[in-house]
Amino acid sequence: MAAVRRNILNNATARQQYIQGVKLLKQEFPGPTTSDFGIAGPARQVSTYDLFVVWHHVAMFTFTPPSQGDRNAAHRGPVFLPWHRFMLILLELNLQRVLNDEDFGLPYWDWAADGERSPDQQVASPVWGNQCMGGQGNPVVTGPFAFNAADANSWRVRVDADVNGQLRATNRGLRRAFAQSISTLPRKPQVERALNRSTYDLPPWSTDSLGLRNRLEGWRPFNTAPGLHNRVHVWVGGDMLPSSSPNDPVFYLNHCNVDRIWAAWSPRSGGSVYAPDQTEPNTLRGHRIDDEMNALLSDPVTPRQMLDVDDFYTYDTLVVS
Amino acid sequence: MKRDELARDSTPESLAEHVDRNAPAVRQEQHEHGVMESVREATYRGHHIVIRTSYRIEVDGVPVEGHLGVTNDGKVHYHAVPNLSFASAVDLVKQLIDTFPEDFETQHGGHGEEH
Repeated sequence: MAAVRRNILNNATARQQYIQGVKLLKQEFPGPTTSDFGIAGPARQVSTYDLFVVWHHVAMFTFTPPSQGDRNAAHRGPVFLPWHRFMLILLELNLQRVLNDEDFGLPYWDWAADGERSPDQQVASPVWGNQCMGGQGNPVVTGPFAFNAADANSWRVRVDADVNGQLRATNRGLRRAFAQSISTLPRKPQVERALNRSTYDLPPWSTDSLGLRNRLEGWRPFNTAPGLHNRVHVWVGGDMLPSSSPNDPVFYLNHCNVDRIWAAWSPRSGGSVYAPDQTEPNTLRGHRIDDEMNALLSDPVTPRQMLDVDDFYTYDTLVVS
Repeated sequence: MKRDELARDSTPESLAEHVDRNAPAVRQEQHEHGVMESVREATYRGHHIVIRTSYRIEVDGVPVEGHLGVTNDGKVHYHAVPNLSFASAVDLVKQLIDTFPEDFETQHGGHGEEH
């Protein structure tokens, strides 16, 4: 039976299992070390959770094609949605394994619902409560991911990236700074406008493109960017800003909701759920429907393989706006 | 796609095996420094336009060497802060100082409030 992904604010079991699961993955060390990734300093074991942090960073710094510096193997181009679906499925399968529960589904954060509240209420949303994701700070000191200098098992950021984009080993608490760089979360009408896009993506297949993908990623419309997905990263701030943003478990709640919006849009697409196809030139390698996507922790899959995932999961509701 | 096709890749043994297979490419990427040249291309009335832009950024005399790009609408972006674009490179660097405070305290020797 496929897992059901649920709203983290409406389901205590999903919330508790998610917190328990990511903590278990943070304490599991399958063998790779920081040296395997060329990270300077003494070799340190990298946890399963942190392997996903490394993978996200690596995909982001893999330019597609290498001759340009805009579109990368997971962002700023068509593959944004299927690549993150791939990433979330792999994390979900690992969570199911450590939780010993094949029915566990990643929870999502319906951030547009919070976006309808006042700025003060957004900061005070239940998602930031002690029983959910905890609050903000440098380091975060409330909730399940609070830093405790005296407790080595408290949530630690172990791998991040420096200002030049190089991975590095670290040992510090999680950082969040709500509404510092942008004052409000996305709103439901903005989600509705994304859903009204009739095409998935269009030339030039970049941050200039019209279509669902670029709206949902958050580069369009220019006058209100960052939008939707990007805006959530920026609003949460702290560790949600750099390429190592999966360090914050909120990363997956955001992307699960992004994936839910894509799932809600798909029946409206008139059968054209993804573009480009293989008739496009090799300069789009990694983004065409039958290209292998960037993989680090498994064999690669293609965007086409990510279009029918009913065997993995469904959503409790596709009402997104 | 069926669940079993990926579930078999979701064991500690499989994770280690795939990292072992893919890590050499990651190590190579770690040792490559970005070229701060951005290439914009467009076609207008049958003419192919290419605009190459290079940046040299320093903070407290120390170079900032990550990947910086310019999109066709003229905004600058930087891969270390991937969800933002900026109207000016100065605004971008201010964001870098906020996002990577330890880099500018230890490597750059600078800090403190604006004066």
